[in-house]
Amino acid sequence: MLVLDEVVKHYGAGGGETVRALDGISMTIRAGELVALYGPSGSGKTTLLNIIAALLAPDSGHVFVEGRDISQLSPRDTQRYRRVELGYINQSTELLPGIRAIDNAALKLLGTRSNVHEARDQVVPLLERLGLADRLHHRPHELSAGQRQRVLIARALSTRPQLVLADEPTGNLDAQRSREVLQMLTDVCAEQQIATLLATHDPQAAAFATRAHSLQEGRLAPHGPPDLALPAESGG
Amino acid sequence: MQELLAVTGIAIGVGLVFAALVASTSLTGSVRQLTDSVIGDATLQLSARGAAGFDERIVEEVRAVEGVDTAAPVLETQANILGPKGRASVLFLGGDEHFTRLGGSLLGHSGGADFSGISGIALPAQLADSLGLAFGQSLRMEVNSRVRSVTLGVRLAEAEIGALVHHPVALAPLEGAQEISGMEGRATRILVESKPGRERAVRAALTRIAADRLDVSAADSEVAVFAQAASPTNQSTALFSVFSALVGFLFAFSAVLLTVPQRRRFITDIRMSGHTSGAVVQLLLLDALALAVPGVILGLLLGDQLSRHLFDSTPGYLAAAFAFGSQRIVTWQSVAIASGAGVAAACIAVFVPLRDILAYRPNRKRRPPSHGGRFDVRAGIAAAVCLAVVTALVVAAPDAAVPAIATLTAALLLLLPFLLRAVAAALALVTRSIRSVVPTVALQELGSSEAKTRTLAVAATGAIAVFAAVAIGGAHADLERGLDASARDIDQNADIWLTFDGKANILATTPFDKPGQVAAAVRGVAGVSQAHWYRGSFFDLGDRRAWVLAPPPSAENPIPPTQIIEGGVARASKRVRSGGWIALSQSIARDLDAEVGQRVTFPAVVPTPFRVAAITTNLGWPPGAIVLNAQDYARAWGSRAASALHVDLRPGAPPDEVAAGIRRVIGPNSPMRVETTHERVDRHYALTREGLSRLTQISAMVLISAVLAMVATVGGMIWQRRRTFASLKVQGLSERELWSSLLLESTVLLGTASLAGAAFGLYGQVLLGRALEAITGFPVFYSVAVLIAGSVLAAATLVAVAMLAVPGWLAVRVPPRRPEA
Repeated sequence: MLVLDEVVKHYGAGGGETVRALDGISMTIRAGELVALYGPSGSGKTTLLNIIAALLAPDSGHVFVEGRDISQLSPRDTQRYRRVELGYINQSTELLPGIRAIDNAALKLLGTRSNVHEARDQVVPLLERLGLADRLHHRPHELSAGQRQRVLIARALSTRPQLVLADEPTGNLDAQRSREVLQMLTDVCAEQQIATLLATHDPQAAAFATRAHSLQEGRLAPHGPPDLALPAESGG
Repeated sequence: MQELLAVTGIAIGVGLVFAALVASTSLTGSVRQLTDSVIGDATLQLSARGAAGFDERIVEEVRAVEGVDTAAPVLETQANILGPKGRASVLFLGGDEHFTRLGGSLLGHSGGADFSGISGIALPAQLADSLGLAFGQSLRMEVNSRVRSVTLGVRLAEAEIGALVHHPVALAPLEGAQEISGMEGRATRILVESKPGRERAVRAALTRIAADRLDVSAADSEVAVFAQAASPTNQSTALFSVFSALVGFLFAFSAVLLTVPQRRRFITDIRMSGHTSGAVVQLLLLDALALAVPGVILGLLLGDQLSRHLFDSTPGYLAAAFAFGSQRIVTWQSVAIASGAGVAAACIAVFVPLRDILAYRPNRKRRPPSHGGRFDVRAGIAAAVCLAVVTALVVAAPDAAVPAIATLTAALLLLLPFLLRAVAAALALVTRSIRSVVPTVALQELGSSEAKTRTLAVAATGAIAVFAAVAIGGAHADLERGLDASARDIDQNADIWLTFDGKANILATTPFDKPGQVAAAVRGVAGVSQAHWYRGSFFDLGDRRAWVLAPPPSAENPIPPTQIIEGGVARASKRVRSGGWIALSQSIARDLDAEVGQRVTFPAVVPTPFRVAAITTNLGWPPGAIVLNAQDYARAWGSRAASALHVDLRPGAPPDEVAAGIRRVIGPNSPMRVETTHERVDRHYALTREGLSRLTQISAMVLISAVLAMVATVGGMIWQRRRTFASLKVQGLSERELWSSLLLESTVLLGTASLAGAAFGLYGQVLLGRALEAITGFPVFYSVAVLIAGSVLAAATLVAVAMLAVPGWLAVRVPPRRPEA
């Protein structure tokens, strides 16, 4: 499903120096698999997810999704890739404050193949599954942080994407809420055979993954985090 | 950026208010300046009731009154001065050495002996320069249809007469003025300075001397008379000042709202670190002043330029009866009011959105923002109550225009939240079968409780401006049509008009001298059927300078038929033609407590009994008008002088050719103007538009400011949402979808506001029309200004949305990730 091939990314650090944010990352994730990318802040997790989401271009290397090199996609196909094939939950993802939870969740469906009625019909089961059956018509300010996060997950999953990228999806939640949200994400992705890459610095979050990689200073560590003792793929 | 917008908003509001105030005070101030400079220390005056004046020897009786310190005979008349560079209408003023003793600044630079010794006339240097006249140069002067060649004996420089250098006046020693104007031995008023404490006794003595043939009044009564005549102009300017202030305030308020989140964070931080409410208030006050001071300074500069270049035209119709200069008069009150409004706007804009945080207690749980549905319903009910009050006022008290307009404005503002919700709900309903994300994204900002105050402030800005433009534009158009109809009725009484030339004689009120020769010559021109004398003048009735129209009995419609409010057209016309009957405009009839058919003794030069044939509008002259036939006028005014010649043509005679023939007969140097009906009607139409031009200008300025305000504020709001756009682009929404959403959102917001403003504006038009009719008796032709409303609505919405398209496009081009701060 997702194949990373020697992905390299540099950033300018001022004074003519460059920082190697990603240093030859290679990885494969199959459909239905939830892979954790574990690492501290600044280790390159978000950069890698942004490259996979076609928000950043790698300096070298390739990202293949279903066999297509996403750097070769036209702008129109890139937009469609993000809209339909990808579900991206990142730290800056926001709900629109003026519309209800159900419409926030259905946002990606509108304009693709559904009108408001059809889109709502499609997201209601998802929202119910995520425990929001009694919050469908609430606006974001009437929801708790955990409920808002679940609406974002519903939005990410609404188009039945092939790939979900989750960047610290439970960063703002307490431990109990985090577990609930991650469990739901894991269950839905497994049921719908969605490949999921979860970037986190939280060992408990990484524990929900079928496997985990440790990212240190732009390189995948040869072994997973010691306390998890999970197998890791080396780059290449 | 937001601070800059706020400063701009304050500056625009202050600028518009300041310009409108300066325009208003300049008119009245100019008349006050000239009056004070003429009357000096005089407190009373004895004045003639007609242009022919009175025997100047009456001054000896006045001087003999115990308690009179100085009594100065003065001759005042309208005149035209022709120089190498052009022609000007002036107030021609003659006085003797007693006049200079009164100490008025007009002659304060010279002793009485010097003034008496002037050879020729004295002119302010600015006027002399504009006419291309140098000291000692000969000039042509037209007074009472006489043409005289006189010398420019004195150029009065600004250093000598100050601001009066801007006034259209000409001075001469009394004898010289009498000789030039053909009024030997006559004066039009006597200015009286009484000894301290003797004014009451002197007034009583003057009243005895006047013997019901002259008027006794305060020496500066001209100011009150002018204020009465200029009140519609000043009231409309004041009304616009209020709308300007409101639009400017809403602009500033909307702009400041953009900065509320960062200000709120900052204040929360300092409250958490232990600072008191007092400290927060001081900080906010400092913040408000930081916006107000540059805003006020810029606004005053802007207003100064607007008053110089845009609002500088004086209403031409007033020049027919009053002398006033072209200078701007800036009073400290104008500066203080405009500045105070700016500071108040800044304080309200800064404090109101943060009022909750002033009482903030760190441990208190913050109430979640309300969706506002209950408030909208309550506001809708309040709006309905306001509308009911307005309707009651229209029916029961049509002259209560100001409270009615204020209530209507309140209703509009109260209804806006409800309307926006209703339109958003309707749009959501209509678009729910569309396979597009555009309506959902567009409507989300309108439904956002966080953005509600901002959204409403923007909507209110547009609604108020469109409301003002439609209401006043509609009333303006109705008034224009009414005035045009009146002018047409009056002018169509003759095929060709001969009047004394000059801008000040637009209403045919300046008398001819020795008209017999002119009439005889005109009657001999081919195509002329008959020629009759028309008599007209201005006449002071208390504080009203009434316009007197006295068409010949042969006139087809002596009373303008479209202007009759009470009394049948045919019967009233027949009565006025037959003599002994008079038509009064509503306000004058009210003052005289007269009704149709009733007998009144009219206080003319020779007090004369008349019966009231009809009640009319004011025929477009704010203080009111009086219509009688020319023969009755001659009897009541004790003068056979005429102010126009009505020429009727033989059937089939072409008016233009006959008019050309008359011009040839009277000669190129004649001070008379020859006009066909068509030409005269056109000139009156132009005068009407000139009189109302300030309304048009200020209305346009308010609308333009509002559009700019809306564009700036909504542009700022859009720019602040780049983070959301970036986030939505990560979700796969395209730039085209986001841009379309912004355009739809802007169209819904601004279109709803403008539509509400336009609908309320149509109601406002009725209110203003009724008020104009009830208060001043203006001829108003009622219509529903759908075209004006539609144009203003479309222009405001389309221009604003078109202007927002650019920042909108730039904003949605944000990269699909969190933008740099």
